[in-house]
Amino acid sequence: MSMELPLVVFTVSAQAAIGLVAISTVRQFAGHGPLGKIRQEWLFAAAVLAIGLLASLFHLGHPLGAPTVLNHLGTAWLSAEAVGAGVLLAVVAVAAFTIKGGVNKALGIIAAVLGLLVVYFMGMTYSPPSFPAYNNVLPFAFFLLTAAILGPALASYFASQEKQAMLARWLTGALLVGLVVHLLAPCIWLSGGTVMRETGMAFVASPLYWARIVLGLALPLAVMVRMKSIPVWLPVLLVAGELAGRLLFFMYSIHTASNLGGIY
Amino acid sequence: MTKQYAFFVDAKRCIGCFTCAMACKNQYHQEPGVHWRQVYPLNEEIYPHRERAFYSLACNHCENPTCANVCPVKAYYKREEDGVVVHEQDKCIGCGNCIRSCPYGAPRYNPVLKKAEKCSFCYQRLDAGLKPACVQSCPVEALQIVDLAEFDNPNAVQYPAGFPRFTKLNPSVRFILPEQPRMVTRSDV
Ligand code: SF4
Ligand code: SF4
Repeated sequence: MSMELPLVVFTVSAQAAIGLVAISTVRQFAGHGPLGKIRQEWLFAAAVLAIGLLASLFHLGHPLGAPTVLNHLGTAWLSAEAVGAGVLLAVVAVAAFTIKGGVNKALGIIAAVLGLLVVYFMGMTYSPPSFPAYNNVLPFAFFLLTAAILGPALASYFASQEKQAMLARWLTGALLVGLVVHLLAPCIWLSGGTVMRETGMAFVASPLYWARIVLGLALPLAVMVRMKSIPVWLPVLLVAGELAGRLLFFMYSIHTASNLGGIY
Repeated sequence: MTKQYAFFVDAKRCIGCFTCAMACKNQYHQEPGVHWRQVYPLNEEIYPHRERAFYSLACNHCENPTCANVCPVKAYYKREEDGVVVHEQDKCIGCGNCIRSCPYGAPRYNPVLKKAEKCSFCYQRLDAGLKPACVQSCPVEALQIVDLAEFDNPNAVQYPAGFPRFTKLNPSVRFILPEQPRMVTRSDV
């Protein structure tokens, strides 16, 4: 069982930053009203992404070799993920420093689309054949949900009062879908082969899983339904929930090789 | 088909003595706890006898190796002349992606070098006309090297129970299933 802490920090940070820039771009070009503290928002997104990329280096046995990941853009999704996140950081930083009134439209759209692509690359990287529970679309769905939850949640710190209701609606929707997906995934794994079932059992037997469901999804959803706006403390709880969820993702990923000599 | 070396694991002969795994250790001196070849007893659900049966497993030198596909720095290559999948450790940056991704668990983490490593089919020995260390060491010839281009043993199985089936990778390994033990009762005597 490995916690893979650098990967937990990298993936959650990158997805939070991606959610933030995507939401900010949509918010800017859809609907009326003042933009809010947009420069701070993009600088914050760039800082979060930079911290994530820095954390990812701690995962490497030889961090100085990191530039050589450019070598295998052909088939290695990890190369695409790392290069995509690096390019995204550059785009977000340039967009932040060139803000005049609003984000440059082209840069905003490029950042949002590239961000979604990076989430896709991450989904492909973490769905290898060795983890039957993840060898499907679920990692991509989990990662997209992290972006969809943390994006509007963190944006609430920067958006104008007029746009808070829109963010609240998006967050409520993302939390609802997130709750359903995170409750269903282990149930589906329980009906799979030996290794997939073991993954499902490890999830449902873990107090961390239930804490994440209740404190990271169900409770925030109830708060949102009741209050219809994002309270200032909620994004902190949501970040903690997503970090806990990602910790689970890496800790309980059961490998096919753990059952060699047994029935699959 | 071009030449493709494969391990031929005869579970009928294997006595589970671990000599192959030890020969590999003697040849490459892996760090404590790191095994490139391991001998796995079959689970009782598959082989429900008091006698045990075993599969000796290492890297399968797959036709479409996941390790090579996922490595971000191209530290793996597949030799054209015999299909052996080689890991070039000097290129490895220790990201662990191959270790995480190979469904057969063949690449292992070397905690001292902070890099991955795995069975190389002893390709340097092959090039010198020798057998891999594990194959040479097996006292009952339960582990052999075959060329799949010529191999046509009708009793050989690619995916026996106890060995996961990944057709996309097409692992280059073949098995002979373990024999059911003969029950000797008083009436047989
Ligand atoms: S068994 Fe694993 S390490 Fe060996 S060639 Fe196949 S994918 Fe690569
Ligand atoms: S651990 Fe080394 S060989 Fe394995 S994928 Fe990473 S860089 Fe490649």
